[in-house]
Amino acid sequence: MDTELLKGTLSLLILALLCRKSMYGYEIAATVHRDTDGAFTWREGSLYPSLHKMEQAGLIVGAWEEKETGRKRRYYRITEAGKAALADKRQSWSELCRAVNAILEKS
Amino acid sequence: MDKLEHYLDQVCRSIGGPRSMREHVRQELREHLRDAVAEHKAVGMSEEAALDRALADFGGPEQMRQELEATHGHRLLPVVIDKAMQWKERTMKAKWLWMTWAYLALGVVIVLEILLITFNVIFIIPKFKKLLSDGMIDSAGLEEDGLTWMVNFLHELEYVGGHFTTWMLLAAIAAIGLFEWQVRSEHKPFIRLAALGSVAVGLMVVIGLMVLSLVIPFCVAMPAMGVMSRPWAVEQTISADVALTALEQAQAKKDWVAMADHATQLRTALNRLSAGPALTSLSRRDQQGNLADLRARLRQTQQAVGDVQQAIRDHDTGRLEAALGECRKAFEPIRDAAKRPAS
Repeated sequence: MDTELLKGTLSLLILALLCRKSMYGYEIAATVHRDTDGAFTWREGSLYPSLHKMEQAGLIVGAWEEKETGRKRRYYRITEAGKAALADKRQSWSELCRAVNAILEKS
Repeated sequence: MDKLEHYLDQVCRSIGGPRSMREHVRQELREHLRDAVAEHKAVGMSEEAALDRALADFGGPEQMRQELEATHGHRLLPVVIDKAMQWKERTMKAKWLWMTWAYLALGVVIVLEILLITFNVIFIIPKFKKLLSDGMIDSAGLEEDGLTWMVNFLHELEYVGGHFTTWMLLAAIAAIGLFEWQVRSEHKPFIRLAALGSVAVGLMVVIGLMVLSLVIPFCVAMPAMGVMSRPWAVEQTISADVALTALEQAQAKKDWVAMADHATQLRTALNRLSAGPALTSLSRRDQQGNLADLRARLRQTQQAVGDVQQAIRDHDTGRLEAALGECRKAFEPIRDAAKRPAS
């Protein structure tokens, strides 16, 4: 898949996943990989700058939690502001898809 | 997991922000990579292969660092250190080139210095000693001026160069071999360069002393040489005077052949007077400009002799008489200078 098309969608995907439940970074990457059947091939490390930016913007909140494995991981959950941003991004994404498809179908 | 920690060091070293925040970022990345390694090991990879795969999937440390710095800012000191390390890497690559050039330059300087000393010891110093023994350089004058040590230095240099060259060469080779074999230090290249530089400086000192010892006694002895040439200059002046008188007598007899011979003798004597310090020895040192005047007179006399010779060839009596008159007139001060006692 063309990685240029993925730029800008990462924050949308992260917010959408965190809407389901709170997750840590590796879990987010693994979920994306699983749900898309491996269609997304991306640098896993680029996830963290995006997570930190969204946390700074107040769209998500991170906290260290220790689960049954005994290891501490930083779990992220979406905030109200994040939900609102997600709704906006979904709207924009739908419009984008509609517009692009309109062009592609006619060519 | 040293490789993992090394990777995290590269990614996190210059991220800005509080220390606690930087530690959290590092811990978060560490946990992600450990999860990735565990997953790869679960499908059968070895520990090392799993780590390599996890790091490859995570992304290059440089790019990760830049993205995290874009989010969190960067610390100035690590950036400065990074720049310094990059500069050091660049300069280290050029180090061998500069070291090679330094060795080469020093080597060439030392070889040229040795060649110069050898040339002087073989050719110049023996000639200097001959001049000294012949009295052309006044030893007494050197002693008066406290310059005898220079002559002694040249003697010693010639002696050492003539008798101990092979031993010095062997000693140098032994010293080099011993140094290369025994010295174990991280500064060895610089010690080597310093030693070569010291040798070059030492040889330069020897060359300086040698040149001074050759030049200064010569400069001091020049007036003595001038004085010594006076009898010879007087002799040539008398020859010229005799030839001129004989020429005038032959002119009276209109003996063109005899005139031509005497004119040639006169010209020869004048040419000898113009060479070396002959005229200097006739001049008065207490009279400024006297030497320049004598030289001008000599030139006029030589020119007049040329006119005389041309008149003789043309058998031109009138021109001959005029030229002879000019010749005598120009030559008079030189004759008078030769008659004066030495000053």
